[in-house]
Amino acid sequence: MATFTLTRPTALNPWLGLMNELRRDLNSAFRPHDGVFKGTRGVYPLVNLHESEDGYVLTAELPGVSPDHITVSVEGSTVTLSGERKIEYSVGKGTAIHRRERQSGSFRRAFELPAEIDLEHARASHKNGVLTLTLPKAASAKPRQIAIETR
Amino acid sequence: MTTNESREIQPREKEVLLTEDPRTGVVFRPDVDILEQSDAFVIYADMPGASEETVDIQLEKGVLSLHARLAQTPPNVRTLYAEYRDGSYFREFRLSEDIDAAGVSARMKDGVLELRLPKSAEKKPRRIEVQAA
Repeated sequence: MATFTLTRPTALNPWLGLMNELRRDLNSAFRPHDGVFKGTRGVYPLVNLHESEDGYVLTAELPGVSPDHITVSVEGSTVTLSGERKIEYSVGKGTAIHRRERQSGSFRRAFELPAEIDLEHARASHKNGVLTLTLPKAASAKPRQIAIETR
Repeated sequence: MTTNESREIQPREKEVLLTEDPRTGVVFRPDVDILEQSDAFVIYADMPGASEETVDIQLEKGVLSLHARLAQTPPNVRTLYAEYRDGSYFREFRLSEDIDAAGVSARMKDGVLELRLPKSAEKKPRRIEVQAA
């Protein structure tokens, strides 16, 4: 199978950066989630936010990050994700690293959701390197029908 | 340089391959680390959302190819904001002739594929089953 991959821009080839941007713009013109896809530059982890019947579902791509190294906190309508991605290899004694693309380090992101979260029923799960937060809206943030009094 | 606080992660943008298949959606190129040990090469590939059931590894004519479908958006939700997309992963590597094709093993843990390629002199096409970690 023939594949064609653009490599990273270098001092020798400054046009690749521009080509990548053009490619990104072209790709974004044909994407499935029209209007909600915001691009992926300079943040970690990448997240998607969905609305469900009773609240929000936030998913974050955290491959290779053990749940022990992820901290999720919720306060009011603010959700904070922080932690550390540790990738360590012991080099020496016949071991060499030929390629290193996977990044490690600490991360922290905070999100302000449109409504307050019911802390009692918020849940977090981690599967296949994707963290999923299920965040039901607080009762005070849910729509209520108001009875009309007649006199 | 040593500090008490760990270095902040420097995010890499997801690389999108130019091949865009309307059936699979966007095709991403997974980030990999490649290590050489005394008896084997080890490849780690970041494939968040992929599981041992969705990963397909082929080794044929000295070319190792990784392919994985991505998990879909959770059901019964409406997406408000998206920084990543559903799609699939693809990457291939040309192996040197001293890899023992029969001894290649793979396992998947937390969205990371670990491939072990033992060193040897054999070379014949085969399919590799992925085991759950």
